[in-house]
Amino acid sequence: MPFDLNFVIRNLPIFGNGLVVTVELSLLAIFFAMVWGLVVAFGRIARSRLPRTLASAYIELVRDTPVLVQMYFIYFGFAMAGFGLSGFMSGLLALSLQNGGYVAEIYRAGIESISVRQIEGGKALGMSPWDVMSLVVLPQALVRVIPPLANQLIVLIKDTSLVSAIAVADLTQTGKLLTERTAASYEVFLTVAVFYLAMTGIVSGLSRLAERQFAIYH
Amino acid sequence: MIPQALIRNFPYLLRGAEITLLLSAASVALSTIVGMIVALLHVFGVAPIRIAVEIYLYLVRGVPLLILLFAMYYVLPYTGIDLDPLTGGILVIGVYYGAFMSQVFRAAILSLPQSQWDAARSLGMRRLLMLQIVVFPQAFRIAAPPFVNTCMMLIKSTSLVSIIGLWELTMAGREAVERSLAPFQIFAGVALIYFCMCYSLAWYGRYLEKRMQYVH
Repeated sequence: MPFDLNFVIRNLPIFGNGLVVTVELSLLAIFFAMVWGLVVAFGRIARSRLPRTLASAYIELVRDTPVLVQMYFIYFGFAMAGFGLSGFMSGLLALSLQNGGYVAEIYRAGIESISVRQIEGGKALGMSPWDVMSLVVLPQALVRVIPPLANQLIVLIKDTSLVSAIAVADLTQTGKLLTERTAASYEVFLTVAVFYLAMTGIVSGLSRLAERQFAIYH
Repeated sequence: MIPQALIRNFPYLLRGAEITLLLSAASVALSTIVGMIVALLHVFGVAPIRIAVEIYLYLVRGVPLLILLFAMYYVLPYTGIDLDPLTGGILVIGVYYGAFMSQVFRAAILSLPQSQWDAARSLGMRRLLMLQIVVFPQAFRIAAPPFVNTCMMLIKSTSLVSIIGLWELTMAGREAVERSLAPFQIFAGVALIYFCMCYSLAWYGRYLEKRMQYVH
């Protein structure tokens, strides 16, 4: 099968439209997942029992069900309930909620990996608990979680392709429609795959860069 | 409040769950075989084979499963190979998750201390025997918890084949929603069935992990 490069170049604006949607969705979902994950992680390591139980239950719930089913639940459920969310918003919500659960566990592992002596040292200097957390524990923990966090964000970017199932014109959906219109399936899917590879490649490249940049504690 | 739509459709969903289990079991089997072969090639293969393995891992890490499923659905027919969705789904998921499985097995093989290899070699074992009675028995035990975890991810991923038109749990859920117009109930039920499958595996994985701690 010869690869028709002209076809790809001709349709680059169409691919571009889909790519923009996928990038937007990925960036927003990454942002919300990282922030929400921190909230859940704090619940998970809280001293009182209620937030701990809630956070654990939440993490199990979002991690043990497929993100596609979560998207359907939000997309079709809210539409039927009368305040429909757009496909984009439903996808963003599902991706943020699920990956927030994964990211929370990554943060928790990072925070718990910080030696107790660091915390005691902070307290001995007269820091408040908040200062110990924000100035001593978190900066070190965040450096340690860079590699697993990058892994999870790559999974997130790949999972954005699922919003094509709830009528969002992302990169995958664009590719699918283009295939159905032109029958140039080989070219289309290779191009789409290359775009995804580029996006995930950027994330892993950035994570390696960040790891080297912040590796001052060792 | 009694979720009547869910109760009415639950037997239908369970039939979908059967297909999901079948698909998962077959994909796990295939991905385990692929993963083992790839892991061995990755650890013991010569340079060009190792590079080929790295490329395979890189592609799987960077390309969404859904794209590969679409490729199977739209591209393969042009080459004359026409797979039914179930076979195609098993094949694509098996090969895709084979990469993750290979990482699990490779990490387990590499985590054995050097002294084990040295000891086996000093006893005059050939490589095959060494793998058979020294490396594999220990590596399998180390690989068990992450293996179970990967199975869990695989089960969740089988929901994607509903997008290319295979009738399984997620698709059964969508059909039930179209009939009953009760999306919250039905999809909560679908999620519950997936949750039961995955949570039991997660629980088993944690049990294996705990049991391993006693060994060491």
